[in-house]
Amino acid sequence: MDKKTVTTISYLSRLKIDSEKEQKIVKDLDNIIKFVDQLNDVDTSSIEPLTNPLEKTAKTRKDEVTAKNLKKELLEVAPSANEDYFLVPRVVE
Amino acid sequence: MSWETVIGLEIHAQLSTKSKLFSGGSTEFGAESNTHVDLVDMGLPGVLPVANKEAFYKAIRFGLATGAEINQVSSFDRKNYFYPDLPKGYQITQMTKPIVEKGSIKVLTDKGEKLINITRAHLEEDAGKSIHDLFEGETGVDLNRAGTPLLEIVSEPEISSAKEAVAYFKAIRQIVTFLDICDGNMAQGSMRCDVNVSIKKSGDKELGTRAELKNINSFKFIEKAINYEIERQIRVIENGESVVQETRLYDSDKNETRSMRSKEEANDYRYFPCPDLLPVVISDKELQEIKDNLPELPEEKESRYISEIGLEESEAKIISSSKTMANMFEEASSKTDDIKLVAKWLVGDISALLNKDNIEIDESNLSPENFGKLIERISDNTISGKIAKSVLEEVWENGSDVDEIIQTKGLIQIQDESVLEDIARKVIESNSDQVASYKSGKDKLFGFFVGQVMKETQGKANPKSVNEILKKLLK
Repeated sequence: MDKKTVTTISYLSRLKIDSEKEQKIVKDLDNIIKFVDQLNDVDTSSIEPLTNPLEKTAKTRKDEVTAKNLKKELLEVAPSANEDYFLVPRVVE
Repeated sequence: MSWETVIGLEIHAQLSTKSKLFSGGSTEFGAESNTHVDLVDMGLPGVLPVANKEAFYKAIRFGLATGAEINQVSSFDRKNYFYPDLPKGYQITQMTKPIVEKGSIKVLTDKGEKLINITRAHLEEDAGKSIHDLFEGETGVDLNRAGTPLLEIVSEPEISSAKEAVAYFKAIRQIVTFLDICDGNMAQGSMRCDVNVSIKKSGDKELGTRAELKNINSFKFIEKAINYEIERQIRVIENGESVVQETRLYDSDKNETRSMRSKEEANDYRYFPCPDLLPVVISDKELQEIKDNLPELPEEKESRYISEIGLEESEAKIISSSKTMANMFEEASSKTDDIKLVAKWLVGDISALLNKDNIEIDESNLSPENFGKLIERISDNTISGKIAKSVLEEVWENGSDVDEIIQTKGLIQIQDESVLEDIARKVIESNSDQVASYKSGKDKLFGFFVGQVMKETQGKANPKSVNEILKKLLK
């Protein structure tokens, strides 16, 4: 774990890290990863990867439209919207 | 130096379910913005996705039709990235256990048939739509499409030219439309594709670095974009530089591909199993039911048309080439006994009209009922084939009823042989010169007399009767 990795991760997760805390976060994350890395010592080559700890399978839906038109309500709670769309700062392609 | 092209396609096919992959929101196309948005599609806190079983069934049909392995236990993962039309900040997809793996499809190329392997086909949710050009300094977001089920069909990098890529795309489109799992509408974005292109020296084993061309939605642009990209990569390498692995956008106005590197910069999707969703299990019974009810595929239709109905191979091929054509054939055939005549008209005059207007048959004014009626009126001798052409043209124009056109325009064929004989006599009397030449051996003039009789009757004479009568009178 180094400063560059932390910068990348914070960018990917859109989390801003104060520069004075950066050194401490690098150290903390490094410790966490070292701790978790101990799991790599276990030989799991013959074990199916676990996708969910509940060991159950999914209940599924029938293909039916059940949603109501919530346009007005949803646009109202958005930070920014006009009468038709959610609005965000321009995303340039 | 000679180069080989290596192409792989990722085709996104919108599955034609009524509701979304994880919510009860409607998937209807073209609705008023943001009216088909459920709380799950919005990614609001405290909601949980529940998978739509029908999307699995449709994906399995594709797997069965392409001879693939079906994973009866499949699971979902999160693909993380930020974009305004993806409200949750991640897309739910199937990374580790896709529903379909290892299929293949036959593709018709210049060099004959080629088998292209399909690595996988997995379920995932579509994103919403960003509208960039409507608002000053802002992007509008419409989430109607968010959560619509997609089947992402990934080919092996086994395609070796732009033309072959198009042929592969067409083959996939044909199969998904026949399976009734996707409407195949490219203009509405029901099918889109990303293309991975790389080049290598002829004979090299190792693949070159690839560029990914994003979101192309027409056959024409697939071909153009790939050809542009191949040339670009050759230029780059021959200039002593190297191809960069990146995503490129195809600009159809300028016919070029452009780097989207900015978006690519820190592209790391950090896939992990989606904790909100348990693995979905398809029982043996469900799988068997899907197998038993698999719709007839183009190849099966083609051979049935030949062996059971007795169509020519070329006719059977054209009719079974598209779902809409096959539907029209089968529906119209149920309205008349003369099925071969249905085929003949479909492949002939109707195909010509379709080509001229550049439309699919279900977009035309011709209904199967009306078409069946037209064939009936030809085979019961109400109208001649020539008149039928003009009737078809009118139906094509405005969708009028065949019988009504025949009635109001007085197009009923003249059956009464004595009437025809009178007309034929008159034609012979007033063309004595031609009669003389004919009798002195100019056999070709026979067609002239037929033409004159047809002209006199405004095309309403039965050509067979006219032939017989003229032969008799000109002896």
